[in-house]
This record gives sequence, C-alpha cells and structure tokens, in this order.
Amino acid sequence: MTWDWAYAASILPDLLYGAWVTIGVTLASSVIALGGGLLIAIAGVTGGRAVHWAIRILIDLLRGVPILVLLYVGFYVLPQAGITLSALPIGIGVLGVVYAAFCSEVYRGALVGIPPGLRDAACALGLSPRQVWQLVLVPLMMRRAAPALMNYVLVLFKQSAFLFALGIPVLLGKAQEAGYASFRYLEPFTMAGLLYLAMNLPFVWLLSRVNPAHGHSAADRPPKPPRMPS
Amino acid sequence: MPGLLEYAPAFFRGLLTTAFVAVVSIVGAALLSVLLGFARRSPRRAPRLASLVAVEVFRGASALVFLFWVYYAMPLLPGMPKLDPMVASILVLSLVGAAYGSEIVRAGIDAIDRGQLEACQALGLSNRQAMRRVVVPQAMSQIVPAFASLAADIVKWTSIVSFVGVQDVLHVANAIRGITYETIRVLTAVAVSYWLLCLVTSLLFRALEHRLPLNRALRAGGSREPLRPADRDLREAPR
Repeated sequence: MTWDWAYAASILPDLLYGAWVTIGVTLASSVIALGGGLLIAIAGVTGGRAVHWAIRILIDLLRGVPILVLLYVGFYVLPQAGITLSALPIGIGVLGVVYAAFCSEVYRGALVGIPPGLRDAACALGLSPRQVWQLVLVPLMMRRAAPALMNYVLVLFKQSAFLFALGIPVLLGKAQEAGYASFRYLEPFTMAGLLYLAMNLPFVWLLSRVNPAHGHSAADRPPKPPRMPS
Repeated sequence: MPGLLEYAPAFFRGLLTTAFVAVVSIVGAALLSVLLGFARRSPRRAPRLASLVAVEVFRGASALVFLFWVYYAMPLLPGMPKLDPMVASILVLSLVGAAYGSEIVRAGIDAIDRGQLEACQALGLSNRQAMRRVVVPQAMSQIVPAFASLAADIVKWTSIVSFVGVQDVLHVANAIRGITYETIRVLTAVAVSYWLLCLVTSLLFRALEHRLPLNRALRAGGSREPLRPADRDLREAPR
C-alpha cells in the first residue's frame, strides 16, 4: 500500500477541523491552568497551614498520575457522583486542572523570588493586602513566570491529543476516525503527525526568543552563567 | 469487594508489564540521550544537524501521536516491518524520552566551566580523557537529578501503551472495569499504582544521585548539601 494523494486530500478538511478543535481545547484549558494555577499559588501562601498542606497533597497527586488515568477518572467517576457533563468540558477541565497544579509551582517559584522588601514597601505605602497582591505581586509574578508558563501551554497543546480517548474530535481523534472509516491508516496518521509538528513550530520559535532555556539558538551561543528564574 | 480480589493477580501482572515497559524505556532513553547529547556537541556538522532534527521532531508532538504512527501507519510503508506492540511502545517511549534527555545531557555538560577543559589540555590530557575523567563525573551531578524527573514522566507516559494492546495496568484495569462495573475502586487502584511507581522511580534516582562520584567527594569533604542543578529550569522543565 502506498501513499494515495486523492485520499489524503479528501480527509484533509476533517483533519483541519480536528486541528481547530485542538487549538480551541488548548486555549480553553490554558485559561483554566494559568488562572487556576495563580489562585492555587496565592491560596497556598495566604491560606493557613491546613490549606497549604491540602494544596501540596493535591499537587503531588496530580503530578504522579498520568493524564490519561485522570481523564478516565473524570469521565467515569464524575457521573457516579451525580455530575453529568459531556466529554468536552470534562476533557478541558481535567487538562486545565492538571496543568493548574504544574503552573502553581511556577507561580510559587516566581513569588519566592520577589524581594521581601517590596512587600514591606507596599505595606508602608498603606496598600491593603488585596491591593498588594493586585497591584504589586501578581503583575511581578506574571512577568517572571511568563516563559515557564508558555512552556506549559506548549505541553498542554501536545497533551491535548489524549482527549481523543474520550471521543473528543481533536486532531488525533479525527485521524483515527478517518483511518477507521476507510481502513487506510497511513495517510491520516502521517498527516496528523505532520500537522502536530507544524502547529508546534510557531510555539518553539516564540519560546526560543523569550526563554533561552528552551531554544537551541540561545543555547548554542557561548554559555552564560546560570540564570535563576526564582 | 470480594469480587474484585479475584482480579488482583491479573492487575498485578498488568502492573509488572507497566514496570517492565517503564524500566526498559528509561534505560533506552538514557542511552539514546547520551548519544544524541554528545552528537549535538560533535565537531562535525552532520551529527550535530541530525541530532537537532531528531530532538525537535520527537519533542514536537505527544508520544501518543508517534506511537500511533509507528504502530498503525509505519507498517503500511513498503519494506517496513510490523512491530510487536511492546517493541513499538518501548521504541517510541525511548525516542521521545531521549529527545528531552539529550537536552539534559547537553545542558549538564555545558554547565561545566570551559576553563576546566582548557586546564585539561594544558595538562596534556586527550579530549577523550578530559571528558571521561573530568567533565562527565561532574556533569553527572547535574544530569542525574534532572533525568530523575524525566524518568517519572516516562513512567506516566507508559499509560499510552494500552492503546496498541499492550496488557499494561491500564489495559487490564479497563477490562476489569468493564466486567465488574467497580469503576471508582479500579481507577483508584490504577491511580495509586502509577503514583507509587513514580515514587519508587524518584527514590531509586535519589539513591543513584547519592552514589555519584562528585557528590561522594563533596560529602567526604564535609559538605552536607548534595550538588543539585543550579538552574531550576533544567530540573523542572515541562514535558
């Protein structure tokens, strides 16, 4: 069996639809991951000891279990708990929550790196705790955490392929559907792989510009002294 | 609950399969990482370029996408073999792991001050000797902790092999779930299993870290802090 261009062209619209779904899912779960991560990080610092430990345990659990298993848990266990949602919100939610756990660690690292004097200064200026967070700390955390957070968005994009396991028509799911319908797997899976790689390229280019730890272009230059992100 | 215990032996066989795939993939990824990492540092252009392309391709998409391609699409190309599900899984996991691992190796070697290499040359050591006796033993102290977190990721990635029919713990659990309808218990057991596997992996790497030559020398010299990568990005790189 060799490559069939006519067949490849006929499934291309389906795959492109899958690519759009992939982008949409990535954006939606990124919002949860980036926003939720920030909230978790702030709660971990401002909450009491119990909140702190609850969050540490939750993060540890989410980091030690594969996303695929967590997706199954969300898909099969939530309905038994009386929450019936369709696959798409569950998939987006699980991806978002898992990466919120990862992102909260990034935010936490960024927060640790902010000199304590700054907080004292904000207090001395008479800002309320809420204002200190809103006007001083969060903007600084955002800026420091941005490169690492973008890295996580990139990972989220790649991991969104797992959502096909719940029947969500992401790119990989569409490819499998097309292959299954015609019993030709070479074209759909090859095209899906190439599309994933192509969609990844702009991310990599962007990251290599902001984050020297990721890109090769920066790393191939003479080594700089190690940069502490936190 | 007693009904579930009946399936415990099958579950543990699945767990063993997962552990086997993980161990072989981690070892394979480690070996390939060294190969790719050193190729990136090669004085010649061809190995450098080949390594760069391989790393960027295998980091470019999820391991799942590559596994599907290798298992379902590749055998359809003329002259390509149909791989056993287990072989395809280990191959893909090793390659994707190595793509990330080679960056760890490269960064670890780069972290060693260039002045040391120059000192080696001044002492009349060959390039090979300098690498083996001076650079690599120190670089290991940076590479092993970073590789530990990659290894834990590889353990989690093994969950994808259930899609191509390897009878791993997830595959078996899904079957048990289908028979008994004990969804919550079975999935909890799976989640706990993976969590424990990740824990064991990181404990093993912690032990390995403890035995590294530089860390041992530092301890003998009275330093209580084990050497850890200065760059958090390297250790906690998102994958």
